[in-house]
This record gives sequence, C-alpha cells and structure tokens, in this order.
Amino acid sequence: MSEAGVSKDVGVEDDAESEGQSFVGSGLERVEDHRILTGEAEYIHDIAPEGAVHMALARSVHPHAELVDVDTSAAEDHPDCLLTLTADDLKDDYEPMPCGLEGFEEWSLADDRVRFVGEPVVAVVASDRYAAEDLVDLVEIEYEQLDPVTDVQEATEGDTLVHEHAGTNVPDSETLEFGAVDDAFENADNVVETDCEWGRISGVPLETAGVVAQYDTDHDSFHIDSNIQLHTLVDDTVYEPLDYPPEKVNLEVPPDVGGSFGTKIAIHRYCTLSAIASQQLDGTPVKFVEDRVENLQGGDMHCSDREYTVRLAFDDDGTIQGLDTYFADDFGAFPHYPVNQVLKPLSAVTNAYDIDAVRYGYDLVLTNKTAQTAYRGFGVDPHLYALETAVDEAARELGIDPTDFRRVNLIQPDQMPYRLPTHNIYDSGDYPAALDRIEELVDEAEVCEGGLLDPDVVEAKREEGKYRGVSYSVHIEPGVSGSDWTDRQRTETDALEEREREDVDELPEHFRIQLEGDGTVRAFLATDTSGQGHQTLVSQLLADSLGVLPSDIEVDYLPSVEAPTEYGSAASRMAVMLSGATEGAAEKLRENCRQLAAEEVFGCGVEDVAYRDGAVERVDGSERVPLAELADLDAGRNQRLTRVSYDYDHPATKIDDFDEALTSKYPVYPTAAFAANAPIVEVDVTTGEVEILKFYTLRDCGTMLNPTIVEGQAHGGIAQGVGAALMEEFQYDGEGQPKAITLFDYLLPSTKNMPDIEMEHTETPSPFTETGAKGTGEGGMLDAPASVASAITAALEDFDVVADQIPMTPHRVRRRVRDAQADD
Amino acid sequence: MSSESSSQSLARPTEEVTVSVNGEDVTTTVEPRLKLSDFLRDECGKRGVRVGCEHGVCGACTVLVDGRSVKSCLTYAVQVDGSDVVTVEGLASDGDLHPIQDAFHREHALQCGFCTSGFVMATKELLERDPDPDREAIEDGLADNICRCTGYQNIYDAVETAAAELADAERTDGGVSGGADELLHAPSDDLEDRTDGTDGSGGDA
Repeated sequence: MSEAGVSKDVGVEDDAESEGQSFVGSGLERVEDHRILTGEAEYIHDIAPEGAVHMALARSVHPHAELVDVDTSAAEDHPDCLLTLTADDLKDDYEPMPCGLEGFEEWSLADDRVRFVGEPVVAVVASDRYAAEDLVDLVEIEYEQLDPVTDVQEATEGDTLVHEHAGTNVPDSETLEFGAVDDAFENADNVVETDCEWGRISGVPLETAGVVAQYDTDHDSFHIDSNIQLHTLVDDTVYEPLDYPPEKVNLEVPPDVGGSFGTKIAIHRYCTLSAIASQQLDGTPVKFVEDRVENLQGGDMHCSDREYTVRLAFDDDGTIQGLDTYFADDFGAFPHYPVNQVLKPLSAVTNAYDIDAVRYGYDLVLTNKTAQTAYRGFGVDPHLYALETAVDEAARELGIDPTDFRRVNLIQPDQMPYRLPTHNIYDSGDYPAALDRIEELVDEAEVCEGGLLDPDVVEAKREEGKYRGVSYSVHIEPGVSGSDWTDRQRTETDALEEREREDVDELPEHFRIQLEGDGTVRAFLATDTSGQGHQTLVSQLLADSLGVLPSDIEVDYLPSVEAPTEYGSAASRMAVMLSGATEGAAEKLRENCRQLAAEEVFGCGVEDVAYRDGAVERVDGSERVPLAELADLDAGRNQRLTRVSYDYDHPATKIDDFDEALTSKYPVYPTAAFAANAPIVEVDVTTGEVEILKFYTLRDCGTMLNPTIVEGQAHGGIAQGVGAALMEEFQYDGEGQPKAITLFDYLLPSTKNMPDIEMEHTETPSPFTETGAKGTGEGGMLDAPASVASAITAALEDFDVVADQIPMTPHRVRRRVRDAQADD
Repeated sequence: MSSESSSQSLARPTEEVTVSVNGEDVTTTVEPRLKLSDFLRDECGKRGVRVGCEHGVCGACTVLVDGRSVKSCLTYAVQVDGSDVVTVEGLASDGDLHPIQDAFHREHALQCGFCTSGFVMATKELLERDPDPDREAIEDGLADNICRCTGYQNIYDAVETAAAELADAERTDGGVSGGADELLHAPSDDLEDRTDGTDGSGGDA
C-alpha cells in the first residue's frame, strides 16, 4: 500500500520527452542527490577560504549569575591567540541583537549577567579550532550565582526575575475570544477540563549552525556565508547588531544545508560575532561551526515547552459546542523571534472539527533556559496534541467510542471552504471520508485473524501485560504562511480594528530566471533551502512552463543584498509559492522571447510569433529559433529580455475572504493539507515501554507536484513526531542545569524506534493555488504526536490512564499505570 | 571541533602518519589529538566525511578502516597509521555512482544529505557482511546512524535495492566471489548491464 500513488519514475525525463507529458506530478528523481552522494556537496563546514581563522566561545556554566570578572589575559598570552572579545569590546562600535519582543535586546556576548547555561560570554579566535578551544580553557570567568527560574510555576509565582528591567517573567500574553464562548460552556450538557504537558523539543538537524564571515576593508562591507534559514527575511538580525545598513552585509547560504526544520532561523549571534571578529582582524575570514554540545545546550534552538489546560463543552450526543484553550509556553531566557509561534495554532484552532465558539489564551514565560526558536509545526503540534487529548477525555466522559465522537464533529465537505472562527480558511477536503478510509484500512488489514489487532492476539498479549491500542483521527496542516501577522505581538492590537487592507505588508515571492548562451535556463530563488528538494521542484515546474527538460534548468539562490525582503522557505510555503512564481516568471519569459524573435530574427509582429516546446517559431511553423540562440541575440541589448524577475502574490492576498484575518493580524494559512492517522501501539505496563507496531496514515496535500518528495516529507515528519511523542526532551534539573547536552541524552529516533509506515495518498486540489498544491512540509510532525498519544490513551483505557504528558517515556507510563492501580 | 587544523604552532607535539585513503598513500605530520574526521576532511580533502555530533552517536562521520566501519570522530588520525581508509569519495568510479549510492538516489533515501555519507558507508559494511539482509538485519546494521529527515523507510528500500543490484552485478560478472574490493569498485560496465535498464547516471539528469 505504501507504494500507492507514489511512483518513483526512473527515467521519467526520457518518457516525458517522447510523449510530451508533464514533469509536475511525476516522481522525478532529485537533482540534488549526485553531489551529496559523492561527497561533493558544499555544506557550511566545507567552506574554507584561504587563511581562515577559527572562533570558539567560552560559555556560561551557570543558569543565572552576575558576571563579577571576565579575565581573558591568560588566553591573550597564549601564542596561538589572535583575538578575544567580550561584551565590553562590542559596545563602542556595535549594537545589541534585536529580539522577538521589544525591550529584550541583548549583546551577542553576555553583558554583566548570564541567563542560561551555555550563554556565550567570551569569543576567542585562533588559527585553528583545536587551538581556539585551548584558549577557551584559559578564559577565567568569576560568577556570583543568582537563584535560577527553572519552570513556569516559579516564573509566574516566584520573586526572581530573568530580566529585572522588564518587571515580569511574562512579557507577552493574550486571550482571544471568537463566538459566544461563555454561552457555549453554560448551555452545553457536559464540560471536561484536561491538563497536559508538551516537553521541550527541537529539530536537532544533523548539521549544526555555522558561519564563515569576512570583512572587506576596501568596501567597508561584510560577506557572510552561513546556513542561517530565511536569510532574506531575518538579515536584519545580523546587520543591525553590526550597525551597518543592509546593503553592506551580504548573507549567502550554501546550496546544501544539513537540515534546519526552523531551528537555524535564529543563529544570528554566530553570524554577528564572526563578522565582528573578522572586522577586528582587518578582514581575515573567521569561521565558526557550533559543536553538538553547544548546539544542544546553548544554541538558541529549543522549541515549544508548554503546559496546557483545555476545556471542551459538548452535548450528550457528542456535539462540541465550545473550545477553551490556555497554555503557558516556557520560552527560555529571551523571547527571540519567532515569538509568534504561540499564535500559529489559531490557523487550525479547531483542528478538523466544526466548532463555532473558541477562547484562546496564552502566557509567554521567561525562565533561565536557552531561548526558543522555530521547529517544524511552529507551535501547532502541541495544540493538536492538547486538543485531541481533551477530545479523548470527552469521549471517555460520555462513554462513547472516541472515533464516533470525532466523526460527529468533523467539518463536512459541503462546508468547504470552511471559515474558522479565528478567520483562517480551510480550502478543501473530505475529512469524514478520510476517517472512514483509515478505519477501513486498519479493519481490513489488522482487525482480523493474523492482524496486529486480531482480538485473540490482543487478549493474549494483555495476559503478558502488553496492551495494544489504536486511535483514528484527522488532522489539519495549515500551510503557506504569509503577510505581516507575524509581528502581531509588536503591534498595538487595539489599533488593528482601524487597519485598512492596503496597510497589510503582503511579502510576495520573488523569483528570477535567465537564459544562458548554452540554452540553460538559470533560476534564482530569493530564499534558502535545507533538504526539501527545491531545485528538483523548480526544475519540474519550469520544465513544464517553458517546454524544456529538467536537465536544462539550473537552480541557484540569491544572496541577501540582491533579494528583496521576503518570507522564504518556512511554514510549508515553497510548493505553493514556487508553483505561482515559476509560472508567472515563465509566462513573462515566453512573452519576451516572442518579442525578441519578432524584432531580432523574423522582423515581424509579435502576434506572428509563437512560443512552442522550448523555442519560438513563426505561427505557421516555417522558422524556429532555439532558446540558446535567443540568449545570444539578447546579449547586446540594453534592456535584457531573456532575464526576467517576477513577484508572486501570496494566495491569501488575492482572496477577499482572507481580508479580515489579514487586516486583524490573525495567522493566515490558505492551504489545509490533512491526514487521517491510525498508529497501532503496544504498551508494556510492566516496563512502561511503548512500541508503535505500525503507523497507518492517509495523507492529502492537494495536487502532488512530486509524489516521491511528498512521501519523503511525510515519512520524515512522522519520524520527528514519533520522537516528540516517545523520546525527545530537553530536560533541566531543579537548579537550571540542562540534562540533555549530548545525543546520548537527547534521544533521536533511530532504525530501532521507527515503526513501519503504511501510507496512502489522496489528492484534493486546493482551489486557492496555481497548481492545486497545498503546503506539506510539516505534516507528520504536526499530527503524529497527537495520534501516538491518543493511541496510548486507547491502549490504556482499562487503567483510565491518559497520555497527558509527552514524551511518554517508560518512566511516565509506568508511573501513571502504577498510580491508576493504586487508586483502584 | 569540526574544522581545519592546518597550521601547527611549535609548542604542539606532532607525529608522522602514513594512511591509505581511498587507495592513495598520505604521509603527513599530525597532532596526536587530531581526530580522524578532521584529518580526512582537512588534511586529505575528503570533505564527504560529515561531522554531526563528535561524540559517536549520529554516525555521519562513518568511514571504513581496514574494511570495518568506524566513527571517525571517535578515532584519532594516529590510530589509523598504516591502515586503509575508505570514504564516500572512494565509491564512485569514473563518475558512475556505486550501486549503493545509486540505490540511495533512486529510492529517495536522502533529503538534506548530511547523514548520507555515513549511511552509505555503513550500508557498504553491512552488505559485505550480509549480502542479502532482511529488514531486521538492516535495522541492526544501520542502528548506529541517525537520519533526521527521511524516517528511514526509504533507506531500508535503498539497502534492499543495492543488495539486489550487487547480487545481480556479481552474477553478471560470472560468479566473482564478491570480496570487498570487487564491491568497492564495481566496474562501470556492470552498471550499464543492469537488468532494469537505468543508466545509473543519477542526479546528473
């Protein structure tokens, strides 16, 4: 079944050439692979300019302390030392780093006080990294320890402040109401309240953050190579601390980045420090690559760490009347961008359920931990988990089957497009059919003799203390973020009512193509990539739009100084945004090619020239000019017709129904991919171990541009979701010391943990996008944790245990089962 | 500490090593503390060796030393003095991907690719030890490598595809015993003879 709809079309290019078929929709093999497989790919750690020197960082060993004395003299006396930097060295010529909320700007090296273990205090530079780390050992830092704030309760109820000047550890909170929430809760037959916790996790890509920065003394400017994500959006986080204008600080991202998943958006500290060091060394290139321990404990890259309280109001027939959700998110020591991930759940606030009345509240809480950044899902993953946990409790309260309870509340296909109370819109989909199908698949394959859920087997396993369970649920993946809702928390929200539609900053997708003399079509993205296969995708899209072969297309990336500020490759955007951008640019190029041929070759009117099959010809077919020739003809012209740029408007900005969300700065995600999941789990109540025996999933992301890549995204997302549900967590002890600083402690799913995935795809095209594609970069990570937790809850129904804390580690499972048995 | 270490100050002790790297002898002077991963990347230019954790968990830096897979971040260059080291650069011949590399490409067994060199080398060792591994043997054989992108499903498929290709190549080759060297440098002719008719040119397309 896993092959259904996913053909890995070997040799697809030959077939397409002979039959004129479309490349979009085929499983075209990736153009990125060859260089990676042969070791020729250039990741940031491969960039090594002649004479580059190396930076290392001395980091705080305490979660909260005054810096009494920072002594770098011994390091400076070492013969290998080229430079040391402390906060004091930054203050004359540079600026602090911007933060997600105003008032929390920080120097890129700790000034006076440290606020988390791993916070950089001193930068040292030497000829190589080994020597630089020797110098770190010679730095002497004298601390006066302060009480650490280590959890939400201490932060909100205790006296210690992480930032005294702020006067609070809760610098941002909001409660939003949509519909008649109080009425719903007063009038409904039943109300359940569920508390649950989502552990501190992150993307932990295999490649850590890295930078090679070089100051240009002749032009008083910087060139910075880095694997930073969204370099054309967040370049301000680098040029502002350098105190240079954007055009003087050129950020460039290697075409190969070893994964990011959002976590490399906020690595500006490293870019800034390397650039400053290079400037202080008169332009010597300075390299810094974070090691894994730095990455895990002080890499500014943790993500959501939430405590939820969810209330559901529902009638005896199972109809949900109201949803009231509150969470506190432990953001760590600084509210870095992207603080707005506390808001993204509004874009899928009821998941796949039809609920009119919603209250949504949160507190963004500061503690003495490393700061949060983005991670695949951007805060929606914990929301879906909390909501589905409450749904399970509600079904249990009513004593009805949780699948039936879910089915009663699903949004119906005739309600599409469906407007959420929070003003985002789901574009298309048949959720009841998806739920029915996944249940049918599992019924046929597993709830039968020899199946994993064969009733006899289930019973026999119980005798051994192994409890099997399955949960069927449908989940929404909001895709393709856009516009300026992302700065809602820095906006005077009262003034939003007055905001006009024309005040919305729309952030279109910038894209360029140009013809080369050898017939190659060169394309340029105004963003970066980190493994999603964008080069392959653009090759497919442009091959179809221009009537050429994917192998005729080369795809490159613009550095920050050449690109406009745009949103970039995040939030499941690129399939949709590139669908529109490539078609728009290709249309412009086709028109220009006709004009060029009419003027320079045929000497006729444009109307007598046609663009056909990768060339221009007279409409009667008598003469034909290939693209390579056009590039040569164009080379001498002042206004180049074979070089075009195009800005594709975000789909939501072209649909009036999104205006309210856009002007009110509510999250806008105009595509709703969805999945129906059914993980089958086995819980050993003696050891507490949870094994996922098989993970059934039916997925729909609209039109699949490349089914092979879509399937890969789903596999990988589900793996990360499994990690979040069962294994991964950045724990801290009661003193604020991080307990997961190696990959021995922060456990990533391996071949030994991943279940077989049985996947089926359906395609419900989006009416809002050029190709019908929907964003699908985050799916599995969004929905697998909720699904796995719900299956654990199902497996432990006899104990009345609920998977109300993830990761559901063996210890946590065992404790809950033991407590339940003690209660009986 | 994943980075270059070319210049050495006088105060730092050094030792001479001679290592065969992908069949070529390299003789140089290194610090005893120089990790094999950094030696291969910075002294030998084998930058396909990826450095992901430097504490022996992720496996991105996996290379073969005398035919056995080792994590080069946990090994010092001085420890492999006199040994044969093979990195991912040693697999492709004359521009043709090795069947394992080709299988990873065709099965979409890589996304960001940072773990890929390690997986390819671990697969090579696995298939030399067990040319026809079942799913459990694959899971065991690759359990020391972490991939954060693919969820492993396509990697399993790639290993199975590679195993079939190598077995096929061996048959076509007239019953060669399938020792390490034959598998390592599968002749490009064999790739062209593959029964499925693909050209093995991979991502150049």
